[in-house]
Amino acid sequence: MTEIELSAVTVEFPGRVALREVSLHLDQRRIAVIGSNGSGKSTFARTLNGLVTPTTGEVRVHGIDPVRQSRQLRRRVGFVFSNPDTQIIMPTVAEDAAFSLRGRGLSRGEVRERVAAALERVGLTEYADSPAHSLSGGQKQLLALCAVLIGEPGLVVADEPTAYLDAANSRRIARFLLDEMPQQLVLATHDLRLAARCDIVVRFEDGQVVDQGDPDPVIARYEHDQDQT
Amino acid sequence: MISLYRPGDSLLHRLPAGPKLLVVMALALGVSLAPANPWTLTGTALAVAGCYLVAGLGALEIARQAYKLRWLVLVMVLSQVFFLPALTMAANVVRVVVVILLANLVTLTTRTEQLVDAIERALTPLRRLGVNPSRVALMLSMTITTIPVIAGFATQIREAQRARGVPVAPLAFVVPLLIMALKHSDDLADALNARGVD
Repeated sequence: MTEIELSAVTVEFPGRVALREVSLHLDQRRIAVIGSNGSGKSTFARTLNGLVTPTTGEVRVHGIDPVRQSRQLRRRVGFVFSNPDTQIIMPTVAEDAAFSLRGRGLSRGEVRERVAAALERVGLTEYADSPAHSLSGGQKQLLALCAVLIGEPGLVVADEPTAYLDAANSRRIARFLLDEMPQQLVLATHDLRLAARCDIVVRFEDGQVVDQGDPDPVIARYEHDQDQT
Repeated sequence: MISLYRPGDSLLHRLPAGPKLLVVMALALGVSLAPANPWTLTGTALAVAGCYLVAGLGALEIARQAYKLRWLVLVMVLSQVFFLPALTMAANVVRVVVVILLANLVTLTTRTEQLVDAIERALTPLRRLGVNPSRVALMLSMTITTIPVIAGFATQIREAQRARGVPVAPLAFVVPLLIMALKHSDDLADALNARGVD
């Protein structure tokens, strides 16, 4: 599995520190990241794709530096945002999926084949020529996943991928991410049922890793602390 | 550009985007310069309707596209009816409607991807002047994608204002719309970065 290494990573934004001296080594397949609002879990997820640059410290994803080797990294690390509406770049479903293959030197035929296969995988084949914004929330999130997976990344980072979805669509996305997708997954989530299905849970609070390990005990301690506040 | 592609296998669907755009531009020029007499106007309108039928879009689609232009037609009629002879006014209205229907015919029978590729190819000579055709093409695609998003924001704001009983106030509409649009552009920039566009 892809190794994720953070060495004393600090991320500062104007007026606040989002991550404080975070050091982590993760090589499990399904990694859940939990914590209260503003705990730093989304910032951690974003550093893995180079969307956030550490103020100090080093990040390595499969030996790649997300800041200095961003182009190389983004072919290996896909990112799924919480709001499916903000991930759609091209007008139709098939065009949006194909967008991820730009600049890879593939022929039109190869792109068409890969788009067809990727849409079939997430069950969106019949919507290929539909306007992407006409899809339902769950379908848009499946399209976002399709657009990530079509590039065949080794790691998928998902930041609250079920936050905007109803129960049925959340289950559909969760099943896809946790059971059907072979890639390594970093899942930042408030949904503790999803976290419980991962191989390891990392808990952030106030920009620091305060707990990590097997899901059940980490989640139990988190729930206990939440009940106390 | 807003009305999107309708899949099909007609002659117009199979015609490459570049030549199709050139033909439409030539037709639009021809329609604009054609003499304003009833026969030319009727012939032009029938020719455009024929093109829709050749594309397999049906009479209903012509009516739907024409109906979308009702407010434009109304404004054009009201602004000319008292100042121009009836035939000149009718010619102006028919010319504008025909040109818009022709442009819509292109987007209805051409995938956006092919249109954008054609525009990108057409802009290639401008590379010497420092224009990046790929960036321009991407910008066009994203503009098309963003129109329904911004329309959605506008609906959300109007509904939120109605729910709170706020009377119609342009500033109370424009400011949140601008903020939502700017936030969306930030999010879109992140999405582009995450998908490997610098």
